[in-house]
Amino acid sequence: MIYFTELENLPAYDAKGEYLGRLVELAINPSQNSFLVAYFYVLTPQKKLLCIEHGWISTISVRAVQTSVPANEIGSSTPDEGLICIKKDVLDQQIIDVNDRKVVRVIDVDFDIQPDHKQTELRIVAVNVGTAAAARRLLQGLFAKHRIRTIVSVLPTQTIPWEFVNLIESDPARRVKLRISYNRLAQLHPADLADILEELSRDEQRSVIESLDDETAADAVSEIPTRMQVALLNSLSAGKAADIVEEMAPDEAADVLQELPPETSAEVLANMEAEEAEEVRELLGFEENTAGGFMTTEFIVLAETATVEAAVEALRNFSGPVETVHSVYLISENLELTRTVPLARLLIADRDSRLGDLVADPPISVPFHADKKTVISTFHKYNLLTLPVVDDNGRLLGVVTADDALELVVKEK
Amino acid sequence: MFTLPLNLAKLRRWRTSLLIFLSVVGPGIITSNVDNDAGGIYTYSVAGARYGYALLWTLIPITAALIIVQEMVARMGVVTGKGLADLIREEYGFRMTFILMVLLLLTNWGNTVSEFAGLASGMSIFHVSRFISVPLGAVMVWLLVIRGSHKTVERVFLTACVFYVAYLVSGFLARPDWESALLGTIVPTMNLSTGELYMILGLVGTTIAPWMQFYLQAAVVEKGIKVENYRQSRLDVIIGCILVSVVAYFIIVACAATIFTGGHQQINGAADAALALEPLAGRAASALFALGLCNASLFAASILPLATAYTVCEGLGFESGIDKRPHEAPVFYSLYTGLIILGGLAVLVLSESKQIPIILFTQVANGILLPFVLIFMLKLCNREDLMGPHRNSRAFNIIAWTTCIVIIVLTLFMVVRSFFPEYVP
Repeated sequence: MIYFTELENLPAYDAKGEYLGRLVELAINPSQNSFLVAYFYVLTPQKKLLCIEHGWISTISVRAVQTSVPANEIGSSTPDEGLICIKKDVLDQQIIDVNDRKVVRVIDVDFDIQPDHKQTELRIVAVNVGTAAAARRLLQGLFAKHRIRTIVSVLPTQTIPWEFVNLIESDPARRVKLRISYNRLAQLHPADLADILEELSRDEQRSVIESLDDETAADAVSEIPTRMQVALLNSLSAGKAADIVEEMAPDEAADVLQELPPETSAEVLANMEAEEAEEVRELLGFEENTAGGFMTTEFIVLAETATVEAAVEALRNFSGPVETVHSVYLISENLELTRTVPLARLLIADRDSRLGDLVADPPISVPFHADKKTVISTFHKYNLLTLPVVDDNGRLLGVVTADDALELVVKEK
Repeated sequence: MFTLPLNLAKLRRWRTSLLIFLSVVGPGIITSNVDNDAGGIYTYSVAGARYGYALLWTLIPITAALIIVQEMVARMGVVTGKGLADLIREEYGFRMTFILMVLLLLTNWGNTVSEFAGLASGMSIFHVSRFISVPLGAVMVWLLVIRGSHKTVERVFLTACVFYVAYLVSGFLARPDWESALLGTIVPTMNLSTGELYMILGLVGTTIAPWMQFYLQAAVVEKGIKVENYRQSRLDVIIGCILVSVVAYFIIVACAATIFTGGHQQINGAADAALALEPLAGRAASALFALGLCNASLFAASILPLATAYTVCEGLGFESGIDKRPHEAPVFYSLYTGLIILGGLAVLVLSESKQIPIILFTQVANGILLPFVLIFMLKLCNREDLMGPHRNSRAFNIIAWTTCIVIIVLTLFMVVRSFFPEYVP
């Protein structure tokens, strides 16, 4: 194992043992092999940058790098956009640790030296983020390398294997060249993904969000704090912002749009599908911090005269996430909320029985202007999973779900 | 009356830009007001008490320098979306960042001590013992940040800014000779007496500090201000810088009108100035002055440790943020709590004369840190890959480099002098 801190500034010699210069940069070519150090850059005393290909390296140690070719065969060039440069792109930069689902700043990079009769290969193993790496970088150059190794060996070390490292690149063109994808992020739980997003700068957030599919992006955006949602959506194009907001639950979408500057918010709404935009617009009409402001308009409502079969059919065609449905709501001819039927009741009832005849809970509801306290206490008192919100004539307007109520409780504290 | 529709449209545009301004306001104004902390108030009081209206003119170039420096960091925050410590770490590596962060920690600990000292002396005017005011203040500050939400914290801070009006009122109550004040403001005079020169150095040093650059940039990033709204953000910074100077102006005027004119020029602390005001400008002016001091000290005592904890964690890559639980961001919480406890303890345990080495030491750390911060800032602000079209123009660079070099020379002069007073004139 050898560390970048130890490799940096190593003297390099050619096949005849002549001094070439100092090693200043290592580059990986991700389109060929994402672990192998493909190029070694050496700065000559004349300030020329030599580029040594990996096949030309005969030995590497903590003392020197030796090439198997003479100096005159080594050309000079600067690393191009398609290479991952360890010093420029990895060291001291933030990376995503996909395994531990967090963002960390790289302190050092660990390599493995693999001698193979005539040539030596250097393979990247991990990035180092521990105290030991920090101490090594602070002490580098002040003591001999072996002494530093002894001092540092007592300190805790913490590494992230290279295969779990996701580099962050905000320039989309370069991201493609470097073959950086955020596919692995899409498989994380939205809440974990949101934690990662929170650690990134705005441009980086945008680059991650733009590469995710709209649904995953929406799930993750729903989980980040409102202030950050606003900044993020603000920085996206209105079209992309609309795509994401469309995929969010209408109440979440309304909450964000409420916080956006009025012009941006109007622009996003204009870019959304008519139906979704309409739903959100309705919610935007309600005051913040009232039941109307907390509710969602994604719920299932049926006439009392409808059959169980019709209810199951409605569930099948439900547009929102079906796992959030816990009850269906029954309304009378003049649209008043009359009963709440839990899903379990539907399950055990005959397919053709009338919904109005099923054993149902008396409808607990709150008016749209009910305040936060009333909403929370009603949930608590009746042990609810969902709470219908009605207008002054008892007509059903929307539903507050338990997860939103829980959020209110947490925010209250 | 035919122009009415046009005016309405204008009015609406005005309202929109006002709304945008209000949504980006905060970072600049808050940072600048923290700048008028206990140390600042003391320096301004001494300037007024010793030299009357003569040094008022210095506030104009100081404000200009402050605007130039602050504008750059605010711009970097808006354009890159990253904090200054982040950028320094990415460009200048771990070791440099580590050294800067250690210096910052030391400087800000010293500053925190002087804030609590300011609180103690301000409250002593109201006959409150420091053994009550300091622990109470420390707990209040700690709870506000740990328990309060981001919104409440910012609102409390902005409200605290309003209390600086106390100085304006006490300036008027002191019934200054406005004619001489105006003369001192527009006619630069300098006797080139060494005393006066050092006073000017003190004024510069207290107004332009390293921590502010880190804090302002982080606050701008935190607020998520868009590049399109940068103009409003710049206005926020400029207003903030002018506010600092207005408050400083009135402090100098109040002390000039009373203490200088009355002939007792020796004051040893900001609270001394408040006391000296009483026989000359009345009880109300004195009380307002002391109230202003307590407000400023508390305000700075809450922001400084927080800003330090944020910056150090950002630079060295530790988890940070008041929305995290203590076990998720242990370093952040230990730094924040540690600075408050150690800052408060120093005031309780050490007598005033024993606090002097701390202040001296802080000044030195500050003097070493500031040149690095300013130079890194200027270099970063010229980087095309970071700033793109928003990097410094050539004309701006000339002004900015000149300003920074002048500030650096003045600061280093201060440092050398505090070590070897006998060798420097």
